[in-house]
Amino acid sequence: MQGNRLYEGQKLALKYFMVAIVLFGAQLLFGLVAAIQFLYPNFLFNILDFSIARILHINALVVWLLYAMIGAVYWLLPDEAGIEVVGVKLGNLAFYILTAAVAVVVLVYLFIQIGPGKESTIWFITEGREYIEAPRWADIGIVAVVLVFLYNVYATVMKGKHTGILVVLMADLIALAGLYLAGMFYTDNIAVDQYWWWWVVHLWVEATWEVYVAAVGGYILIKTLNANRKVVEMWLWIEVAMMFGSGILGLGHHYFWIGTPEYWWEIGALFSALEPVPLVGLFVHVLYDWGKERGKGNNIKNTPAFAWLTVETFGNFLGAGVWGFMHTLPQINLYTHGTQWPAAHGHLAFFGAYVAILIGAIYLAIQGKAGLKEMRMTKASWWAITLITVGVLIMSVSLTISAYVQTMVERGQYGGTWEGYFIAQANQWFVQGMGWRLFSGLAVVVGYGFLVYDLLTIDKKQPAEVREGAVAAA
Amino acid sequence: MENRPSVWSSNRFWRRSATWVTGVASVLLVFLTFDSMGQMKMGTAADIKNKVDKRIPSPLVINYKIDYKLNKTRGHEIPIIGGMDANGYSKYEEKEKFFGKDNWSEKEAKALIHKGKLTIQAKNCMDCHTLLGNGAYYAPDLTKAWLDPTWETLASAYGGKEYAIAKFLENPPAMAMHERKMPNLGITKEEAKAVVAYLKFMSAIDTNGFPRNFGKIKGAVDARK
Amino acid sequence: MIEPCHDVVCSFWSLLNEGPMTLTIILHTLIVLPMVWIYFDEKKKMERGDIPNE
Ligand code: HEC
Ligand code: HEM
Ligand code: HEM
Ligand SMILES: [Fe+2]
Repeated sequence: MQGNRLYEGQKLALKYFMVAIVLFGAQLLFGLVAAIQFLYPNFLFNILDFSIARILHINALVVWLLYAMIGAVYWLLPDEAGIEVVGVKLGNLAFYILTAAVAVVVLVYLFIQIGPGKESTIWFITEGREYIEAPRWADIGIVAVVLVFLYNVYATVMKGKHTGILVVLMADLIALAGLYLAGMFYTDNIAVDQYWWWWVVHLWVEATWEVYVAAVGGYILIKTLNANRKVVEMWLWIEVAMMFGSGILGLGHHYFWIGTPEYWWEIGALFSALEPVPLVGLFVHVLYDWGKERGKGNNIKNTPAFAWLTVETFGNFLGAGVWGFMHTLPQINLYTHGTQWPAAHGHLAFFGAYVAILIGAIYLAIQGKAGLKEMRMTKASWWAITLITVGVLIMSVSLTISAYVQTMVERGQYGGTWEGYFIAQANQWFVQGMGWRLFSGLAVVVGYGFLVYDLLTIDKKQPAEVREGAVAAA
Repeated sequence: MENRPSVWSSNRFWRRSATWVTGVASVLLVFLTFDSMGQMKMGTAADIKNKVDKRIPSPLVINYKIDYKLNKTRGHEIPIIGGMDANGYSKYEEKEKFFGKDNWSEKEAKALIHKGKLTIQAKNCMDCHTLLGNGAYYAPDLTKAWLDPTWETLASAYGGKEYAIAKFLENPPAMAMHERKMPNLGITKEEAKAVVAYLKFMSAIDTNGFPRNFGKIKGAVDARK
Repeated sequence: MIEPCHDVVCSFWSLLNEGPMTLTIILHTLIVLPMVWIYFDEKKKMERGDIPNE
């Protein structure tokens, strides 16, 4: 970055970030609707039923994370490669097409919601498969847009510098995009359907997205701490080895009970049990670098970005590593599968592993856009990070308590029937968990308000000495 | 230390290891997937005739009585299709009428299953319920819904379990049992029949014993009797 | 300790799965063991000094 001048690729990144933050708000809003319905089932009944609120909640989540991921790549790509993004005009066009398509899909979810039991519904309204409900036409559009993105990345790296971070990202992004194809076909066989569905869901979040995070986390470390590139890249390769080594066959922890062969018990149990190891590694690495640089008396160049990166490493370890491990052995999963357990783990893991680091990347971009050499936390940054992090943590703990009730009462005691399900749902501890989830969700929403305010104003709220540094640099 | 380079801190070593590990894990996954896909093919009329246990049975199971019983050898419950033999496996003999007949042809049964699955996706059942344990947690798991004791108690009033479930699906609020109601999803008569067929078919999928102790209220009494 | 296969289908992988943890031990070994070879190969190259400067 030369002073205040941004690459065109970085300007495109800012657009992606903007949509991402808007969709994050939509995600929280529909999460609240669904959470209210757990306690007051008549809320919006027949208008915006739980299923629709939930689809909007989790689809907005996945889509905004993908937007922010693409944005972060467009941000670091010209910086790392040392040249302008190749084909950035095409990239801009793809951005507008994608955003228009997302808007249409959302409107259809909201106002058409469901269709008759025919192929045409799968093509134009919904595919009805959790997380990837988007209708077939949108799938094809997404693939086309992603191909443009991949072209931009590959062409730019070929022409510019090949840093280790970029090489890992190139390999990872192609796998990430390719996996989406596994979720794009229809079959009458629900077991086969779910088998491939997990290729998208698991091999995204527990393999390709984790490696993505390791690469972008490395970049943030270099930017905020001046961390030694060689050491960062060595760790990156270690992370890749451990994450893919455990995560690819760790897929087996979803193949215990869906009509799959028995050998998956053992493969799924033991490979996924190792998945937390690289997450501990990542955590230790960041703390180590932090201590080292602080020891030398160096300032952190962007404290909000670094704070979010710290939340990421700890949240990833806790949400994915610890909460994931707690229900990953088949002996336990037999009773936790299909309860609030995966929801407790899903919230903390998605937040810890992905939300936190992508917010960090957005702060990095804001610093770059303002041309500041150094950027410090404001009061609003502090409130945002505290309310959102503590809110999600309380939410996950509440869901875990509700999940315990379900495991013990519905599944252990009543063998998982319709009646047993509702006996557990009415249990006071279960209901209290749902109440705390709603309450902590509200805290997250307030934190989101602070976040938006902060992202819009932080560059103007910097102390005088920091702003003078910017003038001197320009 | 600085001047004595170690393999452990060499990027090359870790890059090569990462490439190897990723490659071999991916190849193993591909081989395992081929094997699993072979085992997970939907059964056929011939399989039923030859009494071959399939993980995913033929749609023709809708012509048979289905149960879910503890198998001592495998150590968990397994679907029992058409009665149980002395060793605790399916006999594929005892039939059961489904919407008035127990001789649905393979073609008819397949068409029902097809429409049922499409309807299940088109109405987003998976975003309130779990199926095979995956989905949302707002409503009961549907994996063994066909065998749910509550349906057994409602069956006689509707002239059979399948009629009761179909009637429910066509207008769930009319038969609501709890304050948390299932909404009316505009399911037609034909669609309801197909969805019920799918639920019956799904209850015969071998899920390695999930859900455990299904229907055994308080762990002792078998509520399905 | 090693029981006969009771799986619905006794495939190649089920056979590896017969004993306690045999399947995972085999797969983990297959994945990790060649790293030892990579290690010594790198070490040899390093000692010979034919590692290009990156
Ligand atoms: C908006 C959420 C929602 C959607 C979508 C939904 N259900 Fe339900 N379903 C419920 C609720 C809530 C109950 C419990 C009703 C009660 O106890 O009164 C229920 C109950 C049931 C039952 C009876 C419970 C049992 O274990 O047998 C069946 C069967 C069922 N649903 C099938 C379906 C099918 C099939 C679909 C898709 C076509 C579907 N549901 C879609 C919310 C939903
Ligand atoms: C960042 C990484 C991760 C994310 C974002 C994540 C997210 C999720 C989500 C959302 C689900 C629920 C899926 C559904 O809707 O059915 C899930 C399920 C699960 N996760 Fe993770 N996860 C991560 C890492 C891990 C790790 C490291 C482990 C194990 C150590 C793990 C173990 C599990 C298990 C066992 C389930 C299945 C629950 C069930 O269906 O019974 N996860 N994960
Ligand atoms: C306002 C805050 C939030 C509220 C009130 C909320 C509420 C909910 C509700 C009610 C569900 C449905 C669970 C069920 O089926 O029983 C859900 C699912 C989910 N939410 Fe949230 N949520 C919030 C924030 C978040 C955040 C910040 C994330 C990600 C970081 C997230 C990720 C998910 C995921 C992955 C699922 C699917 C879980 C599964 O199927 O296992 N949510 N949420
Ligand atoms: Fe997983």
